[in-house]
Amino acid sequence: MNKLLSTVLVGCLALTGIEALAQPAAKPKPVINPPPVAKDWADLAKLPDWSGVWNPKITDQDAQIKTNMPPWTLPAAEYIKFQLAEERAGRPPPLFTNCLPEAMPAWMLVTHNSMELLFTPGRVTMLGESDGARLRRIYTDGRPHPEDPDPTFHGHSIGHWEGETLVIDTVAILPQTLIAISEAAGQPNNGDMQIKERIYLKEKDIMHVELEITAPKVLTKTWKTTRIFFRQRARLYDIVEGVCQEGYFRPDKDKHGNDIFVAIPHAVGGNREPPK
Amino acid sequence: MKSSSKTIAAGAAMLGLVAAAWPVAAHHSTTMFDREKFIVLEGTVKELHWTNPHVAIFVENAAAKPGIPDGMWVVELTSPGNLVRSGWTRTLIKPGEKVTVEVHQLRDGSKGGGLRKITLASTGQSFNYNIRDQERPNLEGTEYK
Repeated sequence: MNKLLSTVLVGCLALTGIEALAQPAAKPKPVINPPPVAKDWADLAKLPDWSGVWNPKITDQDAQIKTNMPPWTLPAAEYIKFQLAEERAGRPPPLFTNCLPEAMPAWMLVTHNSMELLFTPGRVTMLGESDGARLRRIYTDGRPHPEDPDPTFHGHSIGHWEGETLVIDTVAILPQTLIAISEAAGQPNNGDMQIKERIYLKEKDIMHVELEITAPKVLTKTWKTTRIFFRQRARLYDIVEGVCQEGYFRPDKDKHGNDIFVAIPHAVGGNREPPK
Repeated sequence: MKSSSKTIAAGAAMLGLVAAAWPVAAHHSTTMFDREKFIVLEGTVKELHWTNPHVAIFVENAAAKPGIPDGMWVVELTSPGNLVRSGWTRTLIKPGEKVTVEVHQLRDGSKGGGLRKITLASTGQSFNYNIRDQERPNLEGTEYK
């Protein structure tokens, strides 16, 4: 009896299998970014006003080289010590002379240029002057990080609002990006870095960006630092296009009279090669 | 004068960077310029490169002095954006103008440096900038006229 039952069951399963093969599995629906509705736009008005142009407090960046050094591992500390000595000696290490993006976290840490922050439904976008590609997309629509995101210069950022503070978590940052303490001293993060940020208005027109940087390959513990930005509203302060690679070239004319760019030489430190 | 090229190349190699001296560009620290002192050029503006990330003024220096050779010099500034916020425009300094330029010279003694101040012979007006002076909110900004 048991043998007969088993045979029937196996037969049924086989038929079911055949049935399943006959009907292809339903294609999973793509995850979409839904079109915003009026309420989504209206909700943006409830967020704090971060409009305007924000320029960095460079003197505080300078000061933190002495007052808030990252907790480097020994090799990283030696590397930074060498770079600072080179900079003091007038041979600044060419950290950013390749014109790749300053990237995360160096953009937040050592930029000398302005930025602006744009709110749209489900997202905060940060746009920076210079580099030509200084842009961060911070998803605030509740999505998680992808399971295996491709590493990028600015990483994958998700955020949420806690009152009037934007809380951001960023992962998947290229290992080559620098934890920079100046334009001439910085340590590649070497991978597995995570950055947590809290951005808020400390005063009406003063923004604080609190960073907690965890980079186990080069830091012995999480490094905390706060960077400060000032709001400008005068149109004189509007951000202008800043394509770093433009510095590779000089404007000139070709033999047809066309306006062209011609490559020009630079020294290792990044300055234009002086005329001989 | 001792050449710093070997030291720079060694430093670049230690940093894991390509040691080729050209072409690397521009977004850089400015400690290659000697900010402890300055020299004075007197001559004519030949070219202005209003380009990111560092604007440059090419000046034909007519006043040769000991250690300050005549001929073409290149004087670098900050970015166009930072200059605009300091009141500059791309037409503030024009090719052909007679100028006096205070320069933090390159430490290797070559004919380049960072701008300290530039003065137009035609009007006597002087221009400079300091982006660290902009660390307050709601600046109104004033364009040089």
